[in-house]
Amino acid sequence: MSERRFHHPATPYLFLAPAAGLLGVFFLGAVVQVVYFSCTRYTAFTGPDWVGLDNYRRLFASERFWLCLGNSALYLLVTPALMIASLGAAMVVDAKLPASRALRLLLFLPVVTPTVVASLAWKGLFNEDTGLLNVWLAWGGLAPVRWLSEHPWTLVSAMTVTLWKGFGFYMMVFLAGLLAVPKELKEAAAIDGAGRLRTFLAVVLPSLTPALALVFVVSSVSALKVFDEIFVMIKGAPITQQTAVPLLYRIAFEEGDYGMASALGVAIFACILAFSAVNLRLTRGGKGSEADA
Amino acid sequence: MIDRRPIWLTLFIVCCALLFALLAVGPAVWLLVIAVQPAGTDLSSATGGLTLDNFKAAWRDGQMGRPLLNSVLTTVVRAGLNVMLAALAAYPLARMRFRGKNLIFLALLCTMMIPEQVILVPMFRIVVGLSLYDSLIAAVLPFGVTAFGIYLCRQAFLAVPASLEEAARVDGAGSVRIWWHVMLPLAAPTLATLALFSVIGAWSDLLWPLIVLQSQENFTLPVAVTSLMGQFSTNLRAAYAGAVLALVPIIIIFILLQRFLKPEMFGGAVKG
Repeated sequence: MSERRFHHPATPYLFLAPAAGLLGVFFLGAVVQVVYFSCTRYTAFTGPDWVGLDNYRRLFASERFWLCLGNSALYLLVTPALMIASLGAAMVVDAKLPASRALRLLLFLPVVTPTVVASLAWKGLFNEDTGLLNVWLAWGGLAPVRWLSEHPWTLVSAMTVTLWKGFGFYMMVFLAGLLAVPKELKEAAAIDGAGRLRTFLAVVLPSLTPALALVFVVSSVSALKVFDEIFVMIKGAPITQQTAVPLLYRIAFEEGDYGMASALGVAIFACILAFSAVNLRLTRGGKGSEADA
Repeated sequence: MIDRRPIWLTLFIVCCALLFALLAVGPAVWLLVIAVQPAGTDLSSATGGLTLDNFKAAWRDGQMGRPLLNSVLTTVVRAGLNVMLAALAAYPLARMRFRGKNLIFLALLCTMMIPEQVILVPMFRIVVGLSLYDSLIAAVLPFGVTAFGIYLCRQAFLAVPASLEEAARVDGAGSVRIWWHVMLPLAAPTLATLALFSVIGAWSDLLWPLIVLQSQENFTLPVAVTSLMGQFSTNLRAAYAGAVLALVPIIIIFILLQRFLKPEMFGGAVKG
């Protein structure tokens, strides 16, 4: 940019100050603090007193940490389901049906629905005695499933809420991708005699690769951060059936062990960063590697 | 398209469309069904008769009036702050040259990578340190601006032709006036989209308000609904009625603002 400087030298900083102040204190400052707290004995009543890596030692020695982390890993299975559902929805909306605009809005309604509301609605459907799902299973002569109390069904029911609430959002990402596919390419493929399936596989899908990569990374990171669905759906279940962030909430705000909770926060952050780094690597290196997901 | 779609394919797509629509709306309808049934009826049958008792119970026992007001207040303030602060910060990042610009932009992108969930403890301690615990200000302040919002606004400002800005300079307008009279109006669609996203996010937020709000008179709707679930395990239906109360306003707002929701907005910038 070569514009001349018309403004007072302090002007840009004044424009930036409110936002930088808030983000600096509550995010950058908090990240430094969480690392410090994780190395201290710090409870609701005492501390913080430096204890080195003691919190990490205790954390890694505790069974519930590994169980919750394992559950978080299981929760990542929601990502492929989300990708299939949202790509499918995007293709249906993109098919130029008469009411496709209305359908697009309708499919976005779950995204707008507060997670607490969505979780309660599904909790009604998953209710073990009276919920629609078990009633249907009974009609089919099948035994009821303990959706809200038995591992891993508890995770399946929470993941259903995540899927329901999320697919409309990622559908928009795929729609943006589909709209960006050049018409000439599709026409050229059709002229060359390619059928619909061929055109989709050879022309549309490759140009969706950036969208697929984006949805893959964003949805799996938010799966690792899940809290609301778990909190509402299976609050009553033992913590060992829940995931990493609910465990952090339990340790920090019910047990009051801030040091330990900070160590867990750092551990979750490390997992998320490692996961997104590997993801970015894979999606940059092997193009279309997750296209079949 | 030149070639016609075969009829079986159109039928298949219509079936998929109906299925998706049913899945999207079904659970919300089910919520309403549960909320208007009298207590004690079988949850699986929709034939138990109609009642508004659950709404009365939610209003009386959960004192839903107050959470409704609190949710409206925190959502409006948070969305307003989000748009204003992001637009302020984005202007110099898009249009001015100054020392440390790249460093500041990099730091911003870094905060986009930090999930609030992992820094809950220090965020909570900061709020307590500022004597803001159990106040609506605490529920809003840390999320008064997001790096995502700044990024979005910067993209919009970058697209504004420089000639417009120069013309305003020649006419003697200062930076604030240019920001207000030139940049903001031209970036209005982006600002509206950002406002819509902020409203949706703020209205739905559970984890942070759950941590910093303690007394019932400060609860927002999601917190009040979850507390109803715990309080009235015998009459869960009051919680369902509360959930309906939390759902209706946001759907109305969404329908009013839906024209700012375009797929293109999701192309490059997606919140991480």
